[in-house]
Amino acid sequence: MVPALRYALLLAVALYFVILFHILSRRRLNLKYSLLWIVSGFLMLIIGVFPEIMTFLTRLIGIKEPANGLFALVCFCIIIILMSITAIVTTLNEKCTRLVQTVAILEKRIRELEGRPAAPEDADIFEKTGF
Amino acid sequence: MLIIIPAYNEQQSIEKVVSSLREHAPFADCLVINDCSTDSTRMILRRLGASYLDLAFNLGIGGCVQSGYLYAAENGYDIAVQFDGDGQHDASFIERLIEPILAGDCDYAIGSRFLDGAEQGFRSTGSRRIGIKLLSGLIRIFAGVSVRDVTSGFRAANRRVIELFSREYAQDYPEPEAIVAAAMKSFRIAEVPVVMHERCGGKSSINAFRSFYYILKVSLAVMLRRFSAKGVN
Repeated sequence: MVPALRYALLLAVALYFVILFHILSRRRLNLKYSLLWIVSGFLMLIIGVFPEIMTFLTRLIGIKEPANGLFALVCFCIIIILMSITAIVTTLNEKCTRLVQTVAILEKRIRELEGRPAAPEDADIFEKTGF
Repeated sequence: MLIIIPAYNEQQSIEKVVSSLREHAPFADCLVINDCSTDSTRMILRRLGASYLDLAFNLGIGGCVQSGYLYAAENGYDIAVQFDGDGQHDASFIERLIEPILAGDCDYAIGSRFLDGAEQGFRSTGSRRIGIKLLSGLIRIFAGVSVRDVTSGFRAANRRVIELFSREYAQDYPEPEAIVAAAMKSFRIAEVPVVMHERCGGKSSINAFRSFYYILKVSLAVMLRRFSAKGVN
């Protein structure tokens, strides 16, 4: 790995951690979801400090330039994070569905407790107002 | 008994559907689930004095039908019937559909267009029937149950199946998956011949572009359920 790349990487990692810490301290990011970001950051830090690891690993899998290996590694981290985001969205989606269903059932109960909608005069009002 | 009627923008047909149910199945409670329709479906339901759920967001057919099962589970119904709001299904077949459940012969009954005794009526277009055959074969292989009309939305479920579906139900194109989910829990599934009509209003949720996604998604879901069921056992 050329020294320039190494210093750029270290600088980028430093900036990365500053931003991450900033977001975390303002509680804009749940610590639970930030673990993958922290792990990826440390991975980059280790490579920045000991570039020999990257050189060794890239040679091992037949990549000529350590820089390309670095790209591949970053891609891998991003894919893992994206997958975790899809999983999180799925859970949120399920919770949202259940919420909408529960609210709908409760809304029906309230409507019936108030005893309003069945009266046809009510429907006329809705028609007049174009609701 | 509860009749679950999913309805999304069905202003042209919902009134007919509700009145035909009142005529042919007076012994049952009807629950229309308005999946956040943008037309006057809700206003018609109010005018009819129909019992309905109003979903705050559009959940799609799966989440829509599931709210009906959730309602049935919470209110202690023994049988739930799924009945489309677009006028495709014939209310006079409800009694025949629930017969095997009442007799205790099956847990989950599916109204089928393709059985003997259901020769007349609307039986879908050629390309769709090929898709249905494909999914039917897939479900036979992976779930070990023989159902010919796997996409039929005219179904009846007993208490235990209601409870299963209130917990888990596929969100999009849920019909074939529901069969697999029930089969994986060893519920007995039966098909009952019914006659269906062409929808009298609104649009089918399945267009040409989506059919490919439909087949792919359902095939994947069917296989996935098979393998995850194996993992649990």
